[in-house]
Amino acid sequence: MVREFKLPDVGEGVSEGEIVQWLVDEGDAVEEDQPVAEVETDKAIVEVPSPVDGTVRDINAEEGEMVPVGTVIITFDVEGEADEPAEETAEPAGDDAASEPAGDAGSETAVDADEEVETPEGRVFAAPSARRLARELGVDIAAVEGSGPSGRVTEQDVRAAAEDDEAEPEPATAETTTGGADDGATAEADAGAVSADSAQTGGATGGTAASVESADRDRTLAAPATRKLAEEEGVDLNAVPATEERDGEPFVTPEAVREYAQAQQEAQRADTEALARREEPAEREVREPYRGVRKSIGDQMEQSKYTAPHITHHDTVDVTNLVETRERLKVEAEDRGIRLTYMPLVMKAVTAALKEFPMVNASLDEENEEIVKKQYYNVGVATATDAGLMVPVVDDVDRKGLLQIASEMNEKVQKARDRSISIDEMQGGTFTITNIGGIGGEYATPIINYPEVAILALGTIEQRPVVEDGEVVARHTLPLSLSADHRIVDGADAARFTNRVKEYLKQPELLLLE
Amino acid sequence: MVVGDIATGTDVLVIGAGPGGYVAAIRAGQLDLDVTLVEKDAYGGSCLNHGCIPSKAMITAADVAHEAGNAEEMGVHADPAVDLAKMVEWKDGVVDQLTSGVEKLNKANGVNLIEGRAEFADENSVRVAHGGEGQGSETVEFEHAIIATGSRPIEIPGFSYEDEPVLSSRDALALDSLPDSMVVVGAGYIGMELSTVFAKLGTDVTVVEMLDDVLPGYEDDVKRIVRDRAESLGIDFHFGRTASGWEEVDDGIRVSTETVDEEAAAEADGGAAETFDADKVLVAVGRQPVTDTLNLEAAGIEPNDDGFIETDDRARTEQDHIFAVGDVAGEPMLAHKGSKEGEVAAEVIAGEPAALDYQAVPAAVFTDPEVGTVGLTEAEAEDAGFTPVVGQFPFRASGRALTTGEDEGFVRVVADEDSGFILGAQVVGPEASELIAEFGLAIEMGATLEDVASTVHTHPTLAEGVMEACANALGHAIHALNR
Repeated sequence: MVREFKLPDVGEGVSEGEIVQWLVDEGDAVEEDQPVAEVETDKAIVEVPSPVDGTVRDINAEEGEMVPVGTVIITFDVEGEADEPAEETAEPAGDDAASEPAGDAGSETAVDADEEVETPEGRVFAAPSARRLARELGVDIAAVEGSGPSGRVTEQDVRAAAEDDEAEPEPATAETTTGGADDGATAEADAGAVSADSAQTGGATGGTAASVESADRDRTLAAPATRKLAEEEGVDLNAVPATEERDGEPFVTPEAVREYAQAQQEAQRADTEALARREEPAEREVREPYRGVRKSIGDQMEQSKYTAPHITHHDTVDVTNLVETRERLKVEAEDRGIRLTYMPLVMKAVTAALKEFPMVNASLDEENEEIVKKQYYNVGVATATDAGLMVPVVDDVDRKGLLQIASEMNEKVQKARDRSISIDEMQGGTFTITNIGGIGGEYATPIINYPEVAILALGTIEQRPVVEDGEVVARHTLPLSLSADHRIVDGADAARFTNRVKEYLKQPELLLLE
Repeated sequence: MVVGDIATGTDVLVIGAGPGGYVAAIRAGQLDLDVTLVEKDAYGGSCLNHGCIPSKAMITAADVAHEAGNAEEMGVHADPAVDLAKMVEWKDGVVDQLTSGVEKLNKANGVNLIEGRAEFADENSVRVAHGGEGQGSETVEFEHAIIATGSRPIEIPGFSYEDEPVLSSRDALALDSLPDSMVVVGAGYIGMELSTVFAKLGTDVTVVEMLDDVLPGYEDDVKRIVRDRAESLGIDFHFGRTASGWEEVDDGIRVSTETVDEEAAAEADGGAAETFDADKVLVAVGRQPVTDTLNLEAAGIEPNDDGFIETDDRARTEQDHIFAVGDVAGEPMLAHKGSKEGEVAAEVIAGEPAALDYQAVPAAVFTDPEVGTVGLTEAEAEDAGFTPVVGQFPFRASGRALTTGEDEGFVRVVADEDSGFILGAQVVGPEASELIAEFGLAIEMGATLEDVASTVHTHPTLAEGVMEACANALGHAIHALNR
């Protein structure tokens, strides 16, 4: 059949167009959407596509001719169609002849946040820097939900995914603190106070050459000559104590730079002399790259420590009964092929206490400014593995029996050690327990497995002197260290919660009432 | 170990100093590894010595000659004379400058250079035979090896590059006088680039191509623009034909061709068998990987049926400590892909978290006009499961294109309609090889149409076409009509 093709309305208010060039000749085979002509209107040129697969029958307009919109400019023979007259107007510009106005094709780029962004072929849209970061952090970028335009994956998304994946590190070195019970009356640590406000330290130093206090500012005013001097002396200008202020900003003078440089050199000399008096190892320093799992752990620690103001509450509980109870149950458990450690008993005790102190089983949704109290009890167990620290989580501890908890925990800890644990087996925890006692020590300052709000570190269960009725006796005791997020949990709550845990550990039969 | 061999040890042995190998060597050197680079011929490989660089030099020189003689429209009248020997000398100077630069960079990065041909003795050592009589050989033991031996022009039956009138692309770039006439076998990118050079310099060029059009793999509207321009330069195309042989005649050669199928035979002017007389015949039917000289078996590596060494996304071969990069590691055989692979191989060896996870590799054809492509075509996007939206901007609507006297072609962008993510682009026209870079960046960054359309572009430049094509896909191009 023959298809007539009229010059389409190629633009707003355009009534005619000039045929600039025919891209096909009479007799040529054409495919649908193949450009057949270039048409020019004022200041613009557009290619007109063929509406059909077929053969060019007639070309009805000369190149250079002005043609009113609606004029038949070309006809096609179309095979296999019923031979009836038909006419066709196509839309200009070679796209897939969409029947809807093409006004904002592709401009709807907003993606519903709740919607899974599914791309064909598992294609991920992310910058090379984000891809590299994902490899560095061991994150499968294809599984990361993007928060960028149209669901593009940003570096931040990758970091967030890594944090979800990564275990919370167990304090490898137990730093004992001198603090006793925090009764909530101590001043809240103000994160802002950590970074010395250099403007206020101005003038505090710069006196004696012996002091090498570095100021560590982000911004420093100084004359170009002073900057050059700092460069020559190899001094970081932001580290030089400011002796003056200009426009409310710390200002560093050449004298201050010289004094600081001199002080540093003297300090270095003193170090060098001190070192010279010591036995020299073959290599003074060994530098290793800080990356991979080590860095992920570091990032996680950093986020926790700088986000949640930590308090740590220390206490000791007499666990004589717990030791006896476990001895009895251990035999029973072994008969059923399950190894029973203290951990499941502690998990049960902690869960029972959490039910009474919902603030400790919570998290803070900073963005929405809401405290999320969780009505489920998923307890993580920090596990040291060759690959670093991981926290397998046992879900719904409150609904499970001791032996089930024991077998689940043993299985997950083993999987964490041989790296066969899946991401979701390490997610969704509401509280974490870390056992430093296995390695040694009594008290620690564990770092919270953010965004949880508390973590309990267990010391070694061993016989220690206890005063009973005025007599010193040997008793099995367990040192406890509870770190909590002071934004949610006050010192008093931390102490009360710990007391409740202690009661359950002291008299494990109370757990039967749960 | 051969008696009399000198054995040395190295962390990383790189075989081949082309754009894949030398980049790998330099990067490994930067990462404080002990690197040894073996090259049998010339630093820079095919790319610098016989391919990309010399061909671009000759294309530029031919363009200058052609444009100078065809600018009456602009009021410039000239009749340029071409001294091919001088032109080749200039091109050689450019090549020398670059290759000596590569050598210096390697040395500056602590790379040990060995001249010779390497073949594997076993999984952890190669023997390097030094060129020349009595030069002997040495054994190099390695922790890791990177194979970067590149590719060579494919020979077809009946045409040996040993014979003087038969030219490979390499030979064609080293002629000292201009042939009056030339038959070019193959209308792929190499055949088309060189045909254009010689046609512009005044040679009568006849192109014989087995398929039915130029530039296989490119879209029809791209091919059409390139073919039309080539024809207007006087290049005579014969599609659906293969070259079967050649013979010497009075003052040149006679190339015999055959049609590939009977249908073509019926339509052909000269019937099934047709002959073309010329001074030279250039065979440009593609390239094949160089894997047959390496004794790969000793390393426990087996090339696939096409002769390529298969690698994973870390550029690793089936042997964990042996890598392969560049042409030898498979399509696309492009220098820049080889360089990226070389970089990744070196970083992986150094324990960096590197991988080959680029989203698209751009490609350029330096015909007249140039073609630049990256990512998916509309059809490929559809096949991949996207709903593509296409935006196009004709150079005829570009002020800058008009002022260069080159206004053929277009910029086309392909994006995903739902998300606006840019998936691919095809540019044919002036400086397409440069313009495609912006789309490469856009794809790699996961940019959307809006991102590029909203980026202010300098006026008047050809690059505005990139912005306009993206705006056109969104339905709000200013200087072209929207759909």
